[in-house]
Amino acid sequence: MLTMLDVYERAVKGPIMAEKDFDLKVFTPQLMEITKKYDIRYDKDNPVPADDEAADNLFEAAVEFLTRVGVYCQGTNRVMQFSEDEIRQALREAPGKCFPGAGKDAGVMGLRKPDENKYPWFHCGTGIAFSSEEAMTNMVEGCASISGIDSISFPALEFIRGLPSVGGTPAEFYAAIRGVNIGMQALKRAGRPGLSVMNLISTAATAQSAMAASAPQFGCRTTDGWLCGAVAEFKLDLGVMTKIAYLKSSGCLVGAETAPILGGYCGGPNSTAVASTAYIIMGVLVYNANYQLHFPVHFKYGCTTTQDVLWTCSISAQAASRNIPMPVIWDPYCAAGPNTKMYMYEAAAYILSVVASGGPSFETCHPAKGVLVDGFTPMDVKWNVEMGKAASRLTRPQANEIVKQLLEKYESRLGEPPRGNTYLECYDTTTGKPSDDYVRLYDEVEEELTGMGVPLD
Amino acid sequence: MNQQAIFDNLAKAIIGGDETEIKENTQTAVDDGLAPLDIVDLGLSKGMEVVGARFESGEAYLPELLMASNAFNAAMEIVKPLIEAGKQQMAKHGTFLLATVKGDLHNIGKDIVGTVLDTKGFEIVDLGIDKSTLEIIEAAQKHNVDVIGLSSLMTTTMPYQKEVIDTLKEMGLRDKFSVLVGGGPTNQQWAEDIGADGYGETAMDAVNVAKKLLQK
Repeated sequence: MLTMLDVYERAVKGPIMAEKDFDLKVFTPQLMEITKKYDIRYDKDNPVPADDEAADNLFEAAVEFLTRVGVYCQGTNRVMQFSEDEIRQALREAPGKCFPGAGKDAGVMGLRKPDENKYPWFHCGTGIAFSSEEAMTNMVEGCASISGIDSISFPALEFIRGLPSVGGTPAEFYAAIRGVNIGMQALKRAGRPGLSVMNLISTAATAQSAMAASAPQFGCRTTDGWLCGAVAEFKLDLGVMTKIAYLKSSGCLVGAETAPILGGYCGGPNSTAVASTAYIIMGVLVYNANYQLHFPVHFKYGCTTTQDVLWTCSISAQAASRNIPMPVIWDPYCAAGPNTKMYMYEAAAYILSVVASGGPSFETCHPAKGVLVDGFTPMDVKWNVEMGKAASRLTRPQANEIVKQLLEKYESRLGEPPRGNTYLECYDTTTGKPSDDYVRLYDEVEEELTGMGVPLD
Repeated sequence: MNQQAIFDNLAKAIIGGDETEIKENTQTAVDDGLAPLDIVDLGLSKGMEVVGARFESGEAYLPELLMASNAFNAAMEIVKPLIEAGKQQMAKHGTFLLATVKGDLHNIGKDIVGTVLDTKGFEIVDLGIDKSTLEIIEAAQKHNVDVIGLSSLMTTTMPYQKEVIDTLKEMGLRDKFSVLVGGGPTNQQWAEDIGADGYGETAMDAVNVAKKLLQK
């Protein structure tokens, strides 16, 4: 297994190359060539394919791709290269599990296989913008209280004492420690003090603020998880590499955050599937990560619920779950906002696709592409947990048939999705209860999907 | 070969993104005595229109668009000197400066916007990623651009979009440039709040908004 110092050595000794040349002369042409060589084909008729051989073939394509292309270091303008032997050794040595959370909230985040009936790890994402600290803490408390949640994300604070939390400034640092502090208080109020926070430190985008605010006296614990983001496609900067080194040396859980863009330099779904799988190998090899937050996303719609993205997620989840020992949190973004039928359809389609495909975990689906302020509700979380449990009872062919029906219900509206309602608009914020209309809509969709064969409780 | 067949071959080579083929076809068109501007307007641009439409509808992706764009530029290396020699001016919509703001290393969204703008007839000045406010303003002045396009993919770098606009005001330069913002966490409301002239959710939005701004 490579250490971050080994990786850094590649970043200073690898071949020098302009970033544009890496994008245009190495990354994209090699990806297209490998996709053709391994005959990776997008199956338009089956968003959730069930072909183990195809999944293993995709894994082999991803290994060769990563061997040929490597990872670009933006700080040194050099390509970090890795041999096939190093890749296969790293995969053999990876533990395939981690232990987030403390006390009665501790758990084992491990792997799942396609068609396996085990529940996935339920990660609750509240990582969107809120209009006030009060709204934010109420949401964290409300979501942490939902039974079945295994870990949680904290939202990012955009302001501290009226000043914007600009990256690389004291405001970012102060906002970061305040964000951790009020989030932890909310977990205590929910009776889940040990629940693992898996997106630390959401308010600190720069490495220096993240590392400074991670000191234990500010409330973070080694049983939490820190996200360390790669830049699309296949790039790391020295700040993130330093942050990974710091976190590893501190005994913290490191999460590789990766997001191939379907339609960008990755091209279409077939080649994006290769990149998506290679990213998960990168999480093991380059990050030596404990877990991974991964979200192939559509360049045009900005969401993860188009048919081609669902297929990409499904086939690369299968390739990973059969060959790469990495606990991956699949992270969805829906086009429609909360309190809409379309959101519930999109979330259901995504969860069915990744859970039946062996995805070890998923994050609750972000409504409205994650950009609607206060656009997230505990009812969304409840739906995601129910769907996750139901999806674990289905095989890939069963999930495939339901996903096809769901796509017919929403795909034509992805270009102009309904905004839905904010938490403040569809909840009584005093009692913390959803509106009657919201409950009615939820029950209707639940009944509708039960009729379609989804084994909801 | 008749003229229409030559133009069709030019368009086809652009759509295929084949640099060798487009160079050969362009040279053939020049040797056959076709007017340089007709080569551009009736051949090369027609091919770009097809690829652009496919990209817009989701039938083609960035690699196809980039390959077509590279082929177009390869053909222009042959045609442009002839146009300039003939003192014919190519129609350009305006000059568009693109930059990802300080502290932000993301480039794909910006690159897609740049490629689409290029294919739609804008002159592009791409400053790259992680650019400070003053670097952006100095480049805008130096290149005398019409529009400044600012990209940001993180909530912690979005404030730098506002900083560029505020600094332009402080320097008395706000009226000289239109400012367009975009990137994952941004939206129309944010653009209005910080006093930007426009917001582009997608690359095509950016093109349409830029065209409207320049018509004013």
